[in-house]
Amino acid sequence: MSEATRDYSAFDAELTHQALNLRLFARLLGWMKPYRITLFTSVALVVGAAAMSVLLPVIQGRVVVDTILLPNAASADLPDYGLVDATEWLVASLGVEPLTAAVLLFILLVLAQAVLMFAHRLTLASSALKALRDLRLDLFAALERKPASFYDRVAVGRVMTRVTNDVENLFELLLGFGMLAGEFVPFVLALFLMFHISTEVTGLLLLVIPAAAAATYVFRMAMREIFRLVRDSVSGLNQYMQEDLMGIEVVQLSGREARNAEEYRRRNQENRRQEFRAIDHEVVFETFNTSLASIAVAVVIWYGGGEVVREEISLGSIILFNQYINMMINPVVAVGQQFNTLFRSMASGERIFQALDWDERIHEPPAPVRLPERLRGEIEFRNVRFAYPGGEDVLKDVSFQIAPGEKLAIVGPTGSGKSTVIRLLARFYDFADGMIFLDGTDVNAIATHDLRQRIGVVLQDFHVFSGTVLDNIALSNPAITRERAQWAARAANADPFIRQLADGYDTELAERGHNLSQGQQQLLAFARVLAADPEILVLDEATSSIDTGSELAIQEALHRITEGRTSIVIAHRLQTIQECDRVLVLHRGQVREHGTHEELIARRGIYYTLHELQFQDSAVAAELQGLDTEPTTPDARSRWAGPRDGRGDLPDFDPAEGGPRTF
Amino acid sequence: MRNEFRVPGPRRERASARDLGHLKRLFPYARRYAWPLGAALAGLLVTRLLDAVVPQFLKIAIDSLADDAIEPNLAVPALAILGIVAARFLVYVLSRRVLRRISISICYDLRKRFFNAVQYQGPGFFNRFGTGDLMSRAVNDIGMVRMVVSFGWVTVMLFGFTLAAGLYFMIDMSPELTAWVVLPLPVVALTAFFMARGMFPYFRDRQEAMADVTSFTQENLNGIRTIQAMAQEEHEIARFRRVGTRYAQKVYRATRYQGFMNLAMAVLIPISPIIILFHGGSLVLAGSLSVGEFTAFSAYLLMVSGSITAIGWSLSLFTAAAAGTQRIFEVLDTPREVTDAATGAVESEVRGELSFTGLRYGHPGAARPAIDGIDLTVAAGETVALLGRVGSGKSTLLKAAVRLLDTPRGMVFLDGQDICDLPLARLREAITLVPQDPFLFSTTLRENLTYDTPGRPDDLIVGAAEAAGLGDTLRELADGLDTLVGERGVTLSGGQKQRATLARGLIRNAPVLLLDDCFSSVDTETEERILRHLQGLRGGRTTLLVSHRVSTARHADRIYVIDNGHVLESGTHAELLARGGYYADLEAVQSNQDQDRARKSRLLHDLEADAPVLASAAGGDA
Repeated sequence: MSEATRDYSAFDAELTHQALNLRLFARLLGWMKPYRITLFTSVALVVGAAAMSVLLPVIQGRVVVDTILLPNAASADLPDYGLVDATEWLVASLGVEPLTAAVLLFILLVLAQAVLMFAHRLTLASSALKALRDLRLDLFAALERKPASFYDRVAVGRVMTRVTNDVENLFELLLGFGMLAGEFVPFVLALFLMFHISTEVTGLLLLVIPAAAAATYVFRMAMREIFRLVRDSVSGLNQYMQEDLMGIEVVQLSGREARNAEEYRRRNQENRRQEFRAIDHEVVFETFNTSLASIAVAVVIWYGGGEVVREEISLGSIILFNQYINMMINPVVAVGQQFNTLFRSMASGERIFQALDWDERIHEPPAPVRLPERLRGEIEFRNVRFAYPGGEDVLKDVSFQIAPGEKLAIVGPTGSGKSTVIRLLARFYDFADGMIFLDGTDVNAIATHDLRQRIGVVLQDFHVFSGTVLDNIALSNPAITRERAQWAARAANADPFIRQLADGYDTELAERGHNLSQGQQQLLAFARVLAADPEILVLDEATSSIDTGSELAIQEALHRITEGRTSIVIAHRLQTIQECDRVLVLHRGQVREHGTHEELIARRGIYYTLHELQFQDSAVAAELQGLDTEPTTPDARSRWAGPRDGRGDLPDFDPAEGGPRTF
Repeated sequence: MRNEFRVPGPRRERASARDLGHLKRLFPYARRYAWPLGAALAGLLVTRLLDAVVPQFLKIAIDSLADDAIEPNLAVPALAILGIVAARFLVYVLSRRVLRRISISICYDLRKRFFNAVQYQGPGFFNRFGTGDLMSRAVNDIGMVRMVVSFGWVTVMLFGFTLAAGLYFMIDMSPELTAWVVLPLPVVALTAFFMARGMFPYFRDRQEAMADVTSFTQENLNGIRTIQAMAQEEHEIARFRRVGTRYAQKVYRATRYQGFMNLAMAVLIPISPIIILFHGGSLVLAGSLSVGEFTAFSAYLLMVSGSITAIGWSLSLFTAAAAGTQRIFEVLDTPREVTDAATGAVESEVRGELSFTGLRYGHPGAARPAIDGIDLTVAAGETVALLGRVGSGKSTLLKAAVRLLDTPRGMVFLDGQDICDLPLARLREAITLVPQDPFLFSTTLRENLTYDTPGRPDDLIVGAAEAAGLGDTLRELADGLDTLVGERGVTLSGGQKQRATLARGLIRNAPVLLLDDCFSSVDTETEERILRHLQGLRGGRTTLLVSHRVSTARHADRIYVIDNGHVLESGTHAELLARGGYYADLEAVQSNQDQDRARKSRLLHDLEADAPVLASAAGGDA
């Protein structure tokens, strides 16, 4: 798949497939392969259990009734599968009454059936669970390695449900197959037996199956739409309540309580209407199937009874047939029940494999260059040109160098391409035009994993993972000890506030860090990056205003952590860059000025204007209007305004830079 | 049918027979449908009776075949069975429909009351019950009630009848065999009950493990950029393997338990049929039982044992539903926190003078009050700024003014009138609060901006959007005001959301406007622009704004610095600068004109010395 042909909208579409897609099952079986022995055992067990359940009525009908209670001539040549002989053998060897022997045999079969079924369930669940755990892991790993450009375009919520719900649906499907096997095997065995006893009665009874099947089919078809409407109304109802609860303050402030209650009542009514419709149908269908069984009993009595009178079959066979009736109807009912699961899981399978097959990835060198133990920290951008897929050039021929240990600030108006510079350096995006060197090595020749361990990027928005403060600093890296994390926190000036938390480093942080201020989050972000001890530090500073205490702490920390480290600071607030050795001014994807703070102020160019704007109460704002407006096509704008769920607060959306703001 | 909307499941593990009393709370809801309920029940009783008659005809037919002395009699029983089937079909379908419709209606009533009850609750309530918790009560617990009304209850009501009918016919045929056959049934029922109840913890574990998988995946993918930037993918995959394996184990354990349950039932249930086979068979051989009766016995047994296992299952459902009912009424029984004064005399014209006298407020459970005696008056038409650290009590103050927090009488006054005497709707019309957290509903931008009064003309909406600095965004959006925002639509950036929230407040044109730090995600230049515009727009009306930035505060007529729930200093920008206190320090640091490191570290030191930085965690104004 090339850049241009990737259709990301596929990830947003609801896949609801109508046709059976057997290829999906074949692929699914691939994951079952390591557990095939367990799976085959499971299938063998269900066949065994089915045989037992078919033989039980034979003991009742053929052995007890036909040979013990009412010995008759008609039954002599009807099949009994050796059960009569087995009973006789028991009578002979144990010296018991024939009835006792038959009952013993019955008990034996009951126990065998129960145990076989138990073993079948466990083996099936075990193999299916393991296979799906593997599938889920493979899917997760695939998503974990998808590049930034993928997540720019695809909503996290969309791919997430593939890992959770869709894999669950496949599990239901596998269990459903197990259930069908549990119904179908006895059906086939029973049918075989019945034909053996009486072709006529069996043929007549078989008419019940098309009736049940037709009813099931008609019902399922009618219900698909109704069930969909019920589901929609239920989720509409619940979503409405959830959103109302989440925005309850706004609801109350706007005085919308009564109006919302009315809207909820409307949805509630709609839901009730749909539920009524659904159960009205459902009850008829359920009752129809049980009635069918009773009709079949009547048929057996009438016609089968006649056969007994004509001495074609035995009375025991009638009893046998009676017991087999449910075995005939159950599979049809089961198929009906699995119908929806089948289609739902097919759509799920398709979504899973779509995500697995998506081949977007960052280019990895086939033979990566190993970086030395310790880097000097020299960086060079040479004629780098870059555009986000489908957009115009964000960087146009950017070249600059950073000496080992030097601190470089990159400033520029919104949309100048500042953040893109570091995204390319850390190889979040592939670029083809120009070269970037790290200690003289082309970054494209370095494994991304290795590269990113050497370059510590502090992202604009600090993502808080649920867990303790310590977990958030160390992430899941086992190499970072508690001591190391604490050292990093001290270096990043985060230690004072962490110590004031209820449990210090072991304080649980709320999801998305709601119990930390912006500034505190920023300090933690520093600590997180420092803990990994990167040789090069890159800070993409957040635009948000933060409280003054943290602001000062951040400046202090910045001063300390950049000491002796090659650093790049993308600065939005110019006060942060005073620690830097040199300033690079980017504008519209080009390096426009560079030098020290004093030099650039003296030059009275873009830097000077930006500086004035921030510090001088925007007296020069008017003068700058021209700077901030970028010529972009409306087309490019709307493309980037696509849905991006679950990303937290993105800093300002600006189409000119083309990309997502989070890096 | 499965609901795609998933919420965490209810806790059921502590459900016990003692809780059954909670189900009484449902009676008033069922009473509305007393007549149809009675009719449905009667109908179901009829079907049970019809069920009990079928084996009688089976018996007649088989006896006529088994006994040479009797003329074969097949047509009458077969036709009778067909007739019964038809009658049963009609009666059953009707009663069942009525019954299930009633269960749906009861849930409808419960849900409606639930939503209405929750709508008017205050912050104390929402601290106690989180959104997820409330949703779980509204979805799972009410679903439980539905189950118990449509299935459990009827099973229990019909149980005695079915048992009586089955036993009647069985005893009629052979009292002795009946006694033997019935003997194992209580054991079956008890086993079914206890095993079904023992299943709940497994279900819960399984659900919790699934919730772990979900939240791990969600969190991981939301933070994917951080993980990739820190090159932690492989470690995360290893962690996911553990989470996924744990889930598989929990499902396996639940399945194994279920397997044991089925195994136990598969062994226990056939005991009675075996007794029939053995003892009944002997009776037939002895000539005291006919073959037809022998067959009919099996059929009745099926009926009786079916209802006995069902009652075990229903009773376990009852205990779970009782716990669910309790959880529903726990919410419904919570009284409203903020009482609405319906009677207060209302001035037709609000001048907009807002005053706080000796305002004191402590968040429930917090060690110290968030506001500890604040006296502050905003004259009509004045613009006042509040500054202070995180957790200093600024947001609490604003919330008290619109009674999102309930403060005692005699503390907050609008135009000299105690706000507790004003009808809530009137108060919130007069005072508009733009909250700190920019929340948008997932609907169109238009509906979001004119949320309080739908149907405002577009030019008003666009005007408010312009004033809030959202004009450019609006023009960029392909669908303009009709753009869907929120979860199901375009995701706006934090700054855009904040500006939309601001527009939603501005459009109301209220006499008093409260802005709670609503520029935090907006860059300084844009903020400047909005504020300048705002001054013109609000001319002559009252504005109270909270900020962290001196550059914002300086636009105000007067500035209050709040710290630890007290007013630390107040005055105009110039006065406060001259005073050389906290505000002056802040100004120095933020404007950065002052390069004096010593002064910065002093401020930093002061801040660290006594800063309860995480006060916000206890419900402050973060």
